Amino acid sequence: MDEAPGLSDQYRTASPWPVFVALGIPISEIGLLFDLFPLAVGGLLLFTGSIAGLLRESGYVESTMRSLVVLSAILFAFGGALVFTDVNLVTRGYAVIVAGALLLVGGVVFELFVFEQRQSI
Amino acid sequence: MEVNGQLVLTVLMGLFLIAVAAWLARVENWRSYTPLAGAGAVGSTEQYVSEEKPSGVIRWLTTVDHKDIGILYGAYGLIAFVVGGLMVVVMRLELADPASTLISNTFYNSLLTSHGITMLFLFGTPIIAAFSNYFIPLLIGADDMAFPRINAIAFWLLPPAALLIWAGFFPIPDVIPAQTAWTMYTPLSAGVGSGNQMNAGVDLMLLGLHLSGVSATMGAINFIATIFTERNEKVSWANLDIFSWTILTQSGLILFAFPLLGSAILMLLLDRNFDTMFFAVEGGAILWQHLFWFFGHPEVYILVLPPMGLVSLILPRFAGRRLFGFKFVVYSTLAIGVLSFGVWAHHMFATGMDPRLRASFMAVSMAIAIPSAVKTFNWITTMWNGKIRLTTPMLFCIGFVSNFIIGGVTGVFLASIPVDLVLHDTYYVVGHFHYIVMGAIAFAGFAGLYYWFPIYTGRMYQTTLGKWHFWLSMVGTNLTFFVMVLLGYGGMPRRYATYLPEFATLHQIATVGALILFVAQVIFVWNFVQSWLEGPKVEDGDPWDLADDDLVTSEWHWFDRKLQTAIADGGEEEAELATDGGERIDDSQSTSDVSSDGGDPVAETDATSDE
Repeated sequence: MDEAPGLSDQYRTASPWPVFVALGIPISEIGLLFDLFPLAVGGLLLFTGSIAGLLRESGYVESTMRSLVVLSAILFAFGGALVFTDVNLVTRGYAVIVAGALLLVGGVVFELFVFEQRQSI
Repeated sequence: MEVNGQLVLTVLMGLFLIAVAAWLARVENWRSYTPLAGAGAVGSTEQYVSEEKPSGVIRWLTTVDHKDIGILYGAYGLIAFVVGGLMVVVMRLELADPASTLISNTFYNSLLTSHGITMLFLFGTPIIAAFSNYFIPLLIGADDMAFPRINAIAFWLLPPAALLIWAGFFPIPDVIPAQTAWTMYTPLSAGVGSGNQMNAGVDLMLLGLHLSGVSATMGAINFIATIFTERNEKVSWANLDIFSWTILTQSGLILFAFPLLGSAILMLLLDRNFDTMFFAVEGGAILWQHLFWFFGHPEVYILVLPPMGLVSLILPRFAGRRLFGFKFVVYSTLAIGVLSFGVWAHHMFATGMDPRLRASFMAVSMAIAIPSAVKTFNWITTMWNGKIRLTTPMLFCIGFVSNFIIGGVTGVFLASIPVDLVLHDTYYVVGHFHYIVMGAIAFAGFAGLYYWFPIYTGRMYQTTLGKWHFWLSMVGTNLTFFVMVLLGYGGMPRRYATYLPEFATLHQIATVGALILFVAQVIFVWNFVQSWLEGPKVEDGDPWDLADDDLVTSEWHWFDRKLQTAIADGGEEEAELATDGGERIDDSQSTSDVSSDGGDPVAETDATSDE
């Protein structure tokens, strides 16, 4: 198909992240529901990582690191609630916490070793 | 064993994540979102996103263009329609004979559950989203949807949802399909008792349904934002087209209904897996019914309002007149939207609820017939003395009106408590709602698919096959579902794989009707696919001659502009025709042609990075 005249010229017409956001949700849901530790961790990483990528791509955040840290904090809070409150879903909670920790590590590594070109405005 | 399983899963998940990261690193240049640095590298892989779409499968996996996503929704909806349709063909064949001969009763129950959920959530909602994604931005003069990436996420949630909903049918050890019917009434769906509904297959189905709800909600928010904020300055509320009005109303309904379904499903999942007691205690069953139908009845209007909008848009084009009483069609849409939240308990008249409550729900249910009738009379009046052209989309619109009247009037009877108590849970109900979902909603979908076929394919379908498709569908629908109304009067209960011999004749007629419908859809699929690939190219920007009656809408103007610019700039398909006497242009050249045609690519990337 050819490009539409006058349409979408100045916008990106492709983004690799939505597919992985959409895949991360069911994988982590299945992992958490059926208590499958690796699926829960992997799905959450996929979901939160793609969210971070999406936010960076669309320019809602300046640094990938910061969104990764915020997302990992949310995961820590959620996982903590599962482990340490009366909900008492310990293994699932630890899965969420591990995912948060990995995300945090990933964020630090990204910040230290990947050079992001900041926009000069 | 346990540890090994976890280990394997860990390794697989790790490998999958590494593959994802590797792929992302390849298509996405992580380090730089300011392609200015690579100004000399136009067309290199790093810049795949800025000026043009990537090619091949990657294009479809990464697109955030509303038209591409519309096509994805459409393809997805039609595949689900095939799956759901084949399921019901098996069921109707089983019902050709009173005993359980072809398939087991439990398998029948599984098919019944999946047919309902597939048709409502995987075909109905997505096929509407296909039209709205493709055409709403064109109709209101927007560049794209308000949130293009959210739009893509909403679509990509659907394939996993379908896989989860159908998971029970896949050869996974110890997982069986859900047999709860689409209403998922507790305590059966809570896995209570000696049945087999504690199976993980039901959990997977619930997760899938939950996902499809998340998807619908994201889409709805996007449409509300788009219609409110992205309209062209020439498009005011006063001249907003009727299809956008119905999508706006539908999105409002989704926004209030689907989150409730999502919450109820989560509560059910908690009951099943984490020993909560939402629906297991006294009153839990009736609580589920209230929650489910508070979603479930608006869902009916979520599915029917946009098809009504399609008919209101398409029918006048072939009647040679503008829609009669446009304002009142809009008002009735809004009225239906509001009233639809006040009728849910008419699904529960037989549960022994308080009679005073019951009467109020009866009154509101009857009242909703008024705006529905306003629409029906407006469609008829639009055709009255009009210059009717019986093209395939018009035939489907007229079929819609006809079937909607039968489906609607049978519904008015059901809204009456004394009648409902007699006909509740019989085939009468099945006949009634299939007149609406198949006879009306699917017909309007077909009308839209044929009407806009030239726009999204650039080609024309085969008109004779289109008419065969309509007439066989019309006969098949009325045969199958009118017989069901009669079966209901006879007292045949719904949802059973077997029945008393006295119902055999009518059931056989219904099966014949279903087979006629099946043949009609085979013709449709053939026509659709073959015409898309090989049909004659449309060269006129107004293939329906709408300009004769001054009825052209903006998406046709857009199409006309597209055709003209495509010829002028030698865009991809016509590349060899448009070059003046030169040699055939190979693909890579023609692609770079298109990209450089748009003007100055560097300036454009600049604009992108400034955002």
